[in-house]
Amino acid sequence: MDYFIQQLINGLTLGGVYALIALGYTMVYGIIQLINFAHGEFFAAGGYMGVIFISWLAAQGVHPYVCLGIGLVLAMLYCAMLAMAVERLAYRPLRQASRLAVLLSALGMSIFLQNGLMLTQGQYDKAYPTEITAGGFQLGGLYISYMQCLIVALTIFLLVVLNLLVFKTRIGKAMRATAQDKVMSALVGINANHIIALTFAIGAGLAAAAGIMVGLYYGTVSYSMGFVPGIKAFAAAVLGGIGNITGAMIGGLIIGMVEIFAAGYISSQYKDVFAFIILIGVLYFKPTGIMGENVDDTRV
Amino acid sequence: MKRLIVLGVALAALALVLAGCGSDGAEEKQADQVLKIGTLSPLTGPYAADGNDIRQGAEAAVAVIKAQGGIPGFSDIVVVPADSACDPKQAVAAANKLINDKVPAVVGAYCSSATIPASETLAEEDIIMITPASTSPVVTERGLPYMFRTCGRDDHQAPAAVKFMKEVADVKSVFIVDDKTTYSQGMADGVAAAAKEAGIEVLGHEHVNQGDKDFSAVLTMVKDRNPDLFYISLQNSSSGATMVIQARRMGINAILMGQDAVFHPKLIEFAKADAEGMFCTFGDIDTTTQGYLDFLANYSSKYSAPGAYSAYSYDSAMAYLLAVKAAGTTDPAAVRAELLKLSFDGASKTVSYDEKGDSGSNYTVYQVRDGQFVPYWNSLTGQKY
Repeated sequence: MDYFIQQLINGLTLGGVYALIALGYTMVYGIIQLINFAHGEFFAAGGYMGVIFISWLAAQGVHPYVCLGIGLVLAMLYCAMLAMAVERLAYRPLRQASRLAVLLSALGMSIFLQNGLMLTQGQYDKAYPTEITAGGFQLGGLYISYMQCLIVALTIFLLVVLNLLVFKTRIGKAMRATAQDKVMSALVGINANHIIALTFAIGAGLAAAAGIMVGLYYGTVSYSMGFVPGIKAFAAAVLGGIGNITGAMIGGLIIGMVEIFAAGYISSQYKDVFAFIILIGVLYFKPTGIMGENVDDTRV
Repeated sequence: MKRLIVLGVALAALALVLAGCGSDGAEEKQADQVLKIGTLSPLTGPYAADGNDIRQGAEAAVAVIKAQGGIPGFSDIVVVPADSACDPKQAVAAANKLINDKVPAVVGAYCSSATIPASETLAEEDIIMITPASTSPVVTERGLPYMFRTCGRDDHQAPAAVKFMKEVADVKSVFIVDDKTTYSQGMADGVAAAAKEAGIEVLGHEHVNQGDKDFSAVLTMVKDRNPDLFYISLQNSSSGATMVIQARRMGINAILMGQDAVFHPKLIEFAKADAEGMFCTFGDIDTTTQGYLDFLANYSSKYSAPGAYSAYSYDSAMAYLLAVKAAGTTDPAAVRAELLKLSFDGASKTVSYDEKGDSGSNYTVYQVRDGQFVPYWNSLTGQKY
């Protein structure tokens, strides 16, 4: 039983990370029907920004959790700006072009950003000052590390904030309106370009938070780290019903859980296979994804 | 008349083309004066740390030979690096690039899974290949005449590791994890088989994917089975560090042990205190010999501290250069004959190759102590340091 609960906690942690990344995919898709393949790179860039800021602050003798907080905010801001720049340069000029052209532009941007990271940060992995969040506590037969608590708590916090933003504020209302009908929302005075840029920024900020969590939890970041989680998170977004925020959260958690339980109970070499079997299975019976039904009024 | 003009132009064009060929040939002959050595190693991607060590090791050897006056008959010696990315497809493409560059010899590659296909391509052109790092037995077991190896073999490394587990660490059970490359899985299978033979219980043998960062599921399993020793056979030191950090954070108290791909200063740089006490097998390098000190002086003046495979790469390039010097030509058959005769005190060991191209194994168990790899136990003598 302890083994099961321990794996459940592992799954929650990993699922939380996937959910944070998946939100960016789903929000961007919801608003301009673009699968933003460069999204995984925001995750990697966030990881790198985190290691730069946190290492520097830790070296100044700042309290570890203050370092983490400041590093987190700065990295999220940085990635938000990066995403807005990417949107302005690579996607906005193609707003009226075919969807295939924008998709290729996204793939190109992904390669550009990944190589940019490699050239500026070096090909070697970078080590996080993991000692600042080391440790954990024993709970019966379970061992829970502080980092796992932090990831789950931060994920829940960001998800709540995002939900409030999207469903309770005027900006959120504008985002939902733009997603539904760009022309109509423009007629009532919503600047679609601003709203789209904001959507990219929020998605990238969440990915950056995930990047820092992963860096601190697993110890290292690498320039190519965005690819695999990017694909998994994309699968999570599709599984949950792409375009749907709640769907992306559920999808992320399911993919994380399936991976961990497949590795823990069957064999770790088949964990990705099981994650994608679940995806295919769900799409076979419900092509719109788990939450795909009410896509019209809650998508962003 | 018109026809004559056309004919004349055509002839003139032909003459130009022929003249062009002629000058090409002349250039080539001049270029032959320059001795080229290719290096094939992962210069980008997750294995770039080891790959750059290999390139720099070969460059250091060339610099030493040049400082000693070069090789008679050659105006210059240059290193032509190529990126194998530890990927079979790219390794073959990189090997073809080196063939186009007309290198007579290649030092590399790193991952056995890249070395093996690349060596097939190079063998077709009779290019000598000396690997400083690929330890899979298959590398030298295919009867390729121009394949050499300066490092040890996994079918020696695995028994050495198990001998250590049995005789020194005195463990009763082991859990093994690999990441499914030709090398890492071959090594893990070897350890599993040898451990069973030695009466050590194998509590589990799991495989993870290359590039994974999350090992929590597997590590929870390790913790649950509670082995005396946890054997980590991953393809690079960075994944190794990630696994070590997570294992220790999860409260796994088993003895940690890795192999020669996990053995790299980067492991300690990344895992820091969590790596303390971990064991790794690696080909013994006596850092007090004159050969090593010469290498260190040359290497450190140009690059930062040597990595795990710098010395082996240095010796591989040095062996080739000395063989060319003795043969007076780059003719592969003549150089091969000289390589087989060769015996010199290199940086890593006294280098001499047998008929298969192997140079013997001398695995030593190192332990991480105070942020450094310290020699702990010698598998050949069975003695602690």
